[in-house]
Amino acid sequence: MGKLLRVINREQCIGCYSCMFSCSRTWENALTIEKAALRVKNYSGVEGAFSIRACYGCTDPDCAHACPTGALTPRKGGGVKFDKSKCNGCGKCVDACVPGALQWDSENSNPLVCRQCGICVSFCPNDVLAMVEIEEKSEEVL
Amino acid sequence: MRKYFMLEINLTDESFKKTDITDIFEEYIGGTGAATKLMYDENNQANPYDPESSVYFSIGPFSNIFPVSTKTVAMFRSPLTGNMGESHAGGRMALALYGAGIHVLKITGKSKHPCFVVIENDTVEFRRANSLKGMSALATERVLRDSIKSSHKRSILRIGPAGERKSSIACAVVDGSRHFGRLGLGGVLGSKNLKAVVISGNNYLKVPDKIKFNKFYKSLYDKVVKSPLMKKYHDLGTAMNVLPLSEINGLPTRNFSQGYFENAEKIGGEAFAEKHLAQQTACAHCQVGCIHMGTLREEFNSEEHMYKMNKVSYDYELIYACGSNLSIESTDQILKILLYIEKQGWDAMSMGVVMAWATEAYQRGIIDDSHTDGLVLNFGDSQAYLQLMDNIKNERNEFYKDLEMGAAFCAEKYGGEDMAIVFGKNEAPGYMTGLYSFLGYATGVRHSHLDSGGYSIDQKAPKNEAISNELTKKLYDDAVWRMILNSMVICLFARNVYDTETIIEGLKLMDEKEYSEEALQKTARKIHVIKYRIKQRFGFEITAENIPGKLTKIQTTNGKVSEKAFKEQLEYYNSLLEKDFAEFPEITV
Repeated sequence: MGKLLRVINREQCIGCYSCMFSCSRTWENALTIEKAALRVKNYSGVEGAFSIRACYGCTDPDCAHACPTGALTPRKGGGVKFDKSKCNGCGKCVDACVPGALQWDSENSNPLVCRQCGICVSFCPNDVLAMVEIEEKSEEVL
Repeated sequence: MRKYFMLEINLTDESFKKTDITDIFEEYIGGTGAATKLMYDENNQANPYDPESSVYFSIGPFSNIFPVSTKTVAMFRSPLTGNMGESHAGGRMALALYGAGIHVLKITGKSKHPCFVVIENDTVEFRRANSLKGMSALATERVLRDSIKSSHKRSILRIGPAGERKSSIACAVVDGSRHFGRLGLGGVLGSKNLKAVVISGNNYLKVPDKIKFNKFYKSLYDKVVKSPLMKKYHDLGTAMNVLPLSEINGLPTRNFSQGYFENAEKIGGEAFAEKHLAQQTACAHCQVGCIHMGTLREEFNSEEHMYKMNKVSYDYELIYACGSNLSIESTDQILKILLYIEKQGWDAMSMGVVMAWATEAYQRGIIDDSHTDGLVLNFGDSQAYLQLMDNIKNERNEFYKDLEMGAAFCAEKYGGEDMAIVFGKNEAPGYMTGLYSFLGYATGVRHSHLDSGGYSIDQKAPKNEAISNELTKKLYDDAVWRMILNSMVICLFARNVYDTETIIEGLKLMDEKEYSEEALQKTARKIHVIKYRIKQRFGFEITAENIPGKLTKIQTTNGKVSEKAFKEQLEYYNSLLEKDFAEFPEITV
């Protein structure tokens, strides 16, 4: 079925945001973390507790179900494809993604869809993220 | 060249304005250069705690763009020294300022009531903060992170109760365990009734030339992550210096009485890693992760086996100041002291030196039980130090109130000046390596170990050639070059990643001003000169600096340091500065 992005060592995250910078840079030509298709969340007063919300590459994505215009459609191999011309900026897709993995571009009012490209993996210094071979029919979430 | 902006906030009338200061960045790069120029031009003679005093926060042209350009510079008039104050902090503040489209944040005036300020892109909100009054620096962040929402990453700058009490050694804390530690910024913000600033935004720059940019970025990334250049910082961290420094008589012990700590092994980086290290964390856009968080697990009800757990950051300077220098050999007790300091919002280095001074002054009869209200001060007694800090917090008497005004202030008032280990009235850093570390603290713009690498010169110099004009020139040149690093604003741990060539190439890539190596050096000298002109305005003269008497009597890594040698090299250092003054005659006091 191919590879999908997985958070394999959450506890090893140091909160440097290198993954988010690389994603924004690569896909949006933007020198920021605010355009990344994943999010490293930190918690108030809890040093070192990071939670990484990255697209799980669902085979039957809730975000695509929630999209009223057909802008988000299931992607072969898992996850979604995004057709910007069809997006009405309603944000229902982001609400539907329970882990909060689907990010929102507040500048352009549209979702920031993970391409499962793995650039974030190559800029993670601590093996928190990985592209993992997912077998067909497997619904396992690591 | 891109546009750079300054947001000016006046707390007195709750007004703000944003101005284009691209010209400043064009000539002075940014960070420390930009803040220095702005401070010089403002020529503000107000006392640190006058409402009219100004505080500048600045970032640089690489902030948020390249790895490990993570710091924010704060510049202000220091309540500790009365002179120019400068302190740097990491965390997410540079990221958030960049996001808000602000390259310099200037805060002036004084709020009528406790307040905090929320900045999101172009909006500035002034909020009342009576409910945050007296709240610890840690709790303030927890509360504000919950209550102040933003769709963008936030950075939270705040002060603890020490800042509210206008302690001269109060710091300002940024996000998780990052600090504008030195020279009393916390007190200045407290005097303005400003408890916190929350910053966020989503401004950004586009990647200029994707192929070139990615190649350049990747080479930096590899140097940061894969080369040995940064290894020690994420490995054991700077705490790894504890043992080797003790072995060479360079670890200040019991108020700088000796450089060898018999229990160094118990409080070294290895011991902390084994017993406490929970994990390393990082500033935004630093893949190194040098922040070492130690767990402090304490049983608070032994009958029912009830425990509490805190995470406390530690590094070399903190271990020296609140460990060896107080003769404390327990990592648990050091973390307990550090946690207390963190909550109150003091500068841990200053507090450690103050407590060491108080202990020695007490033991020598300079102060007595009437001052300490019966508290017996012994080196190694961590319970006494926790009680001492509690007494300061509770403003138990005049003596305790004075302690948080710094060691120089106390020594001047009570005596024991030769045992107050301060340079330029700032409590000394933890390198007892010889003349050049001391000379660096005395001459440095911040009177800090970060102004120049004197400790490195001391350790490399052969003992019999440890003092020379040539080495002093080396110290001077290092101090001047750091003007560039601090204008970019690159974390000084990455000073070997960002050599001259890399900086020039990065600036060119970002369509910033093009520099030759000579032009960059000249800019460094110019910024350096302006800084000393500001310092002179406030009465500072290098040649009037002194070495604390005690430090001429002890053995350092490089043997004894005589006052004569210290003074001679101060004179020589000053002659180098005079030469640079002559290069820029238009820059006057």
